[in-house]
Amino acid sequence: MKQYGLVIDQEACWGCKTCEVACKQENGAADGIKLIYVSEDGPRMVDGEPYFVFRVNVCRHCDDPPCADACPEEAITKREDGIVVMDYEQCTGCQLCIEACPYNAITFDPDKGVAQKCNLCHHRVDKGLLPACADNICLAHCIFFGDPEEISQTLDPLTP
Amino acid sequence: MPEFVSSNIAKEMEIYGYDSVVKSHCRMCHGGCGVLIYLKDGKVAKIAGDPDCPINHGTLCSKGLASAQLAYHPDRLTTPVRRIGPKASGKWERISWDEALDTIAERILRYKEEFGAESIVPGYGTGRENEAVIYRFANLLGTPNVLTAGHFCYGPRIATSILTCGTNPIVDYENHPKCIMVWGNNLVISNPDCYKGEPFSVSLDKGAKLIAVDPRLTRIAARSDVWLPLRPGTDTALALGMLNVIVNEELYDREFVENHVHGWKPFVERVNEYPLNKVEKITWVPAEKIREAARLFATTRPAAIQWGVAIEQQVNCADNNRALMALMGLTGNIDIPGGQMLFSPPKIRNVGQFGAHKMLSKEQAKKRLGGERFRLGGNFAIINPKCVWDAILEEKPYPVKMLFLISSNPVMTRGNAREVYRALEKVEFMAVSDFFLTPTAELADIVLPAATWLEMDYIGDFWKRHGHILPRRKAISVGECRSDHEMLNDLAHRVGQGEYWWDTFEGGLDYILEPMGISWRDFKKMDFIRGDVTYQKYKEKGFSTPTGKFELYSTLLEKWGYDPLPRFREAPESPVSTPELYKDYPYILITGRRLPGFFHSENRQVPWLRELHREPVVEIHPETAEKEGIKEGDWILIESPRGKVRQRAKFFAGMDPRIVSAEHAWWFPEKRDPGHGWDESNINILTDNAYESCDPAMGATHVRTLLCKIYPEKTEGDNS
Repeated sequence: MKQYGLVIDQEACWGCKTCEVACKQENGAADGIKLIYVSEDGPRMVDGEPYFVFRVNVCRHCDDPPCADACPEEAITKREDGIVVMDYEQCTGCQLCIEACPYNAITFDPDKGVAQKCNLCHHRVDKGLLPACADNICLAHCIFFGDPEEISQTLDPLTP
Repeated sequence: MPEFVSSNIAKEMEIYGYDSVVKSHCRMCHGGCGVLIYLKDGKVAKIAGDPDCPINHGTLCSKGLASAQLAYHPDRLTTPVRRIGPKASGKWERISWDEALDTIAERILRYKEEFGAESIVPGYGTGRENEAVIYRFANLLGTPNVLTAGHFCYGPRIATSILTCGTNPIVDYENHPKCIMVWGNNLVISNPDCYKGEPFSVSLDKGAKLIAVDPRLTRIAARSDVWLPLRPGTDTALALGMLNVIVNEELYDREFVENHVHGWKPFVERVNEYPLNKVEKITWVPAEKIREAARLFATTRPAAIQWGVAIEQQVNCADNNRALMALMGLTGNIDIPGGQMLFSPPKIRNVGQFGAHKMLSKEQAKKRLGGERFRLGGNFAIINPKCVWDAILEEKPYPVKMLFLISSNPVMTRGNAREVYRALEKVEFMAVSDFFLTPTAELADIVLPAATWLEMDYIGDFWKRHGHILPRRKAISVGECRSDHEMLNDLAHRVGQGEYWWDTFEGGLDYILEPMGISWRDFKKMDFIRGDVTYQKYKEKGFSTPTGKFELYSTLLEKWGYDPLPRFREAPESPVSTPELYKDYPYILITGRRLPGFFHSENRQVPWLRELHREPVVEIHPETAEKEGIKEGDWILIESPRGKVRQRAKFFAGMDPRIVSAEHAWWFPEKRDPGHGWDESNINILTDNAYESCDPAMGATHVRTLLCKIYPEKTEGDNS
């Protein structure tokens, strides 16, 4: 089956954070809860050259997601198309998934008492719409949706 | 298997059950992106970029996406209000539009009668595309005084480019420059003026070489082929140094120089005053780096300079602009594909014509505040703000009795904020039109509820120089809010200007479009109109300057009594110009870093945007922080001879340790007292606005580089 994921060309990101707000508009996460976020790496010197890049962080929809293994409620499942979905109805707020995620891509909403992460806008994808962050909003055109292997072949080797 | 198409309007409508979608034109910054507004039950449900728009190609920024949160904000002013307590008491009562406008009209007529029209000063900030309407109102009223940001933002680009080559040279990203020199600009964050970050980004992806001139290591600088981290405020010297290389290594375009420039000989003499060893000393940039950048820029065709406001908010404002234009001209990049285009606008009534400048009598124009001192600004109907504060506080050369600030928050955004505040406290009558009760509006007598871009019809980008106009279509109404255009159209009737205005402002839109033989109703059905695109028009018609040439040597500046050639002036406060002061204030403070989500003093109350950046942050080099006993995340005080404010320290190794980089325009709408924390973190408490420190021709206030000291904020009981 065709696999879905996000591929981000980190070198191209300008740090404008439009993706963060596009995600808010679509998914309505509470204040302080970011399902996708941009952070800074640097400035520092690397091999005698000044170095400063932005890093867009979001759920990697891992092949073998450690968050799913960690969840005692089986609230996190990987679909056949590769999308790792967290079911907020099933989540009891134990936060074991947050500890298990190696990418800091899961966060806790204390008001709702549940963990939150990017579900790859599966409610849109299932209807044939692109995820909000990947729907041509990025001025750097650096967020791609589709089969990660296919996309990565067309990009620089620096992609995650 | 679903087929994925980006910006899939039909499917969005179907899946989400939106009622309609309106194509429009955003104005959350200085304007310009095509947008799709999805509506449900009469309210904005979603905003997206318009893929058919030639400006942004479907992409958008955080501000545009968050527009509905601005429009529907619970703090938004939705009716006119009148102050019923002392200024800044926060005591207001609702009044009707009729009562509000009649009160304002009565004051206007009274002051005009008693003190002359010049005692009434309308104004705007960066302008919410209300500029031409405000000038029309002012000129017909007979006041030569319109208080704007034009003295130090965009106005200088227009004024100096008209002097030099007839119009503002715009980078032609559509045809992909092969070398881009980004000069003190972070357009991927700010999307400034005639530009959006998207086409720049695409040109880079296509392989353009990149030169970055910036004291800070922005991402643009980090990605560049050559980064020139200059000492803040030394831009003219750096540009003249590059020109020196280009002239002496004969890297210039011979045909262009032989046939199309004015003042070559004296220009060469001037650039010879700036050899690289001297320029290195002034700018802190190694001579070899300057040479490398100059060679790369001059030998890569087409090449372009991406410039903006940073170099305009300096004592060297006009000469900074003119030196950069000299670089564009000498290298033959003017009006060529992928270079720096002199775009022709669509054949409409332009902002100057609509602004009715010719209706202002010569006698009244002569009374323009500061017009004799700042003659470049004055000739473009632009005034220096201190002239207005002095006219209020000292009543010199005559009293200003009334301010009418339409989308402007000068206590946050003009130099020497305490003086601005005193003037606003003193002025006899002040009306404001805005979205919120800002720190400035809290000092007003009457505040009118302004419409956002979602709530108006207008001809978007009407004032720009990129050659396009785009329809802004009204999608919603909020409370009793009115667009500034409708408001002034109504007020104009009440002060006796009715014959020059219309029943509703749709008549004004028709008037702008009339020369094209179309009406607003026709234009509303179109995506955009673009002027004719032709290259190297100067070869047939010459340049639209007094000599018909590209004026390296400005005959108009000479006529007005200024140096006709660009030269470098040391900043009013710097290690070089004020070495004694530098001992007590041992850091160079820069004040203009741009942040995603904010537009000057706007948007601090919009949740999705404030979440991007919650507090004012001052960047300090880690070595400097250690020396000053500052820890990352500390609230620190930044102090200049004029005052001190607090911002939160962040370590930033991407600049010289002698530089400190603060943020501007911070106030705190969440603080409910009427001051809203206007003087806690406001960097303009520190800046100066003395006439001597302003650009002598343009009157630009020098707010971008000054001297400061920094130290940790002591909390109570802390004796360390």
